[in-house]
Amino acid sequence: MPVKWVLYWQPNQGTTVSTQILNEATQCVESINGVKEGRWKATLNYYKPMLRDQSNHPDLPRDFLGISLADQPSKYYFVIRSQRIVVEADASIQLIMEKLQSYKSKVSLYFDGFQYQLGDFRVRVGRVVPVHSESVRGIVMEVEYLPISSMEKSRKVMEEFVEIWHEALSKRSLSGKFVNIELNFGEFGLADTYTPQHTGVQYAIVMAHMIATVQPARG
Amino acid sequence: MHHSQLLHTPADSANNQPEPDAPPKQVAQAMERLNQASRAIADIRLGADRIFEAMFLTSHPRNSTDMSLQLLLKKDASMRQHLQDLSSIGKKLEESGVLTESLRLRSNTWDLHMPLVCPDGAVVAYAWKRQLAGQAGASAVDRTRLALKAFTDQKKRFFPHIDDGVKMEPRLKKHRASHSLLEHGGGEMFDYKTLPDIQSRLEKLVTNVKVSTYGRLSWLKRADSLTGSGSDDDPSEASKLVFQSSSKMRSGLDDEVSDKVAVIELYVPSVFRAVVSLNPAGSVDPDSVAFFSPDEGGSYLHARGFSAHHVYKHITEHASTALQYFLGFGTGSALYSLLLWVCSFESLFSKPCSKCGRLLAMDKKSALILPPLHRTYQDLPLDANLDVCEAYHCGCSPDDS
Repeated sequence: MPVKWVLYWQPNQGTTVSTQILNEATQCVESINGVKEGRWKATLNYYKPMLRDQSNHPDLPRDFLGISLADQPSKYYFVIRSQRIVVEADASIQLIMEKLQSYKSKVSLYFDGFQYQLGDFRVRVGRVVPVHSESVRGIVMEVEYLPISSMEKSRKVMEEFVEIWHEALSKRSLSGKFVNIELNFGEFGLADTYTPQHTGVQYAIVMAHMIATVQPARG
Repeated sequence: MHHSQLLHTPADSANNQPEPDAPPKQVAQAMERLNQASRAIADIRLGADRIFEAMFLTSHPRNSTDMSLQLLLKKDASMRQHLQDLSSIGKKLEESGVLTESLRLRSNTWDLHMPLVCPDGAVVAYAWKRQLAGQAGASAVDRTRLALKAFTDQKKRFFPHIDDGVKMEPRLKKHRASHSLLEHGGGEMFDYKTLPDIQSRLEKLVTNVKVSTYGRLSWLKRADSLTGSGSDDDPSEASKLVFQSSSKMRSGLDDEVSDKVAVIELYVPSVFRAVVSLNPAGSVDPDSVAFFSPDEGGSYLHARGFSAHHVYKHITEHASTALQYFLGFGTGSALYSLLLWVCSFESLFSKPCSKCGRLLAMDKKSALILPPLHRTYQDLPLDANLDVCEAYHCGCSPDDS
């Protein structure tokens, strides 16, 4: 599977994130010869256990999230960041969880944006929107380098691409920047060859950072 | 493999011919069966509605339960019939090769192992089908003649050893060459003209590159077995020349005689896979070279094929220029120079351009962001470190090709 980096928009101190940033970002992709391929959608859910007696199970993890990825439509990925666990399941697991009533989704988020092809790179930019709401919670960007699947070998290529991206964006004088988080995939038991589980882990970390540092926009 | 598949096809009552049908008729039959399948599916949908209707009626007490039960049973029987029809159509489609994975579609009933790739790189189910489509206006005789020509051209190109009477000479030459190697005991003499020498020399100079040799048919099999996501670290199943001991050497030669080396694969894990073809097979004359992603697989992976990725496509174009340059010397060292030069691409994703100092740059001609794809091929250091080989972006290259 091609290597992918997941970046998120970090607004400057005191500013908020909005759909305008997404528009600027998509225009910027087109300015570096990106070809729009279509819409991009994904969903992410935070789960909490449904227990009769809440107090007796203090050791159940509270950052249990599940994510569906656009390029793996028949699968669903679970990540428990605090315990460094990532698991791949069939997409029907969501239905099973609903029937069992074991876990309930307490927060649901949509990723909604566009997908672009730039030669051997594939870029997806989208806004993060809570379900049943119009407010933008953040902006997320995926960068894929299609020819290779080794994290190590692709590192320099990805770094330089992000530099090119930053350069192109800086011309638009936006108040913030896209940030890539350095991750130790080994902690999650993942190897050098890229897999969808790597994507799941990246999203878990990105969401944690986003919730901690980005103020939700109003309206 | 293809014969056994024919034998297992049970006799179809509607089709008593001992010969399998010609492919155009097979296609027509398959279309007909697919239509039947879609009619059966529509019947099943209607049948499901009827069953719901019947169940609704039975649940209402004012209708006579006996009558509605009869209705339900009737609907159930007709539904089962439809499902059975669908399943038998499905079986027929499977047998005729329509409903199987694409690999089985290749079982060509004309008993020729046709590759899926035309010389110009197009992928088709039957090579001659494309030929026929292009000549739709021509008469049947012309079509047959053209198809026959396509067959023989491809046969000559891919299977030159069939009814090729000149097998003895190259075999003897190789034998002699290998014996001289044994006598010298792997000493200082380096002969660019023998494949075993070249291979062992390369393996010493560039330790990260895996060099393997294949006969044409075994390469075809290997290319197909390389699936998209495979990280293939062990090409040893293929016919690899081994030089450790004289007895092994002899058995290696026996393999070679029946399947002459026609393809050399250079694999750098996670960076690239290059395919070089030799023409004629068993010689040391390179014919063409192509680069691919290490994760690519399929029958289009051959020395005249093109990768699905821009970076490898561009390198392949640049490589054909380099090949012509090496061949231009006429000293017979073209293969060694070419393989050495190909190995310099080990640094494809790490070595920045010697002119602009960056790894990635926007290529003006193609409007794509690419790493430095050019490596200098003039004055190639044949014995020394390949790091001196300079890397350039297409636009930065002093060659300005």
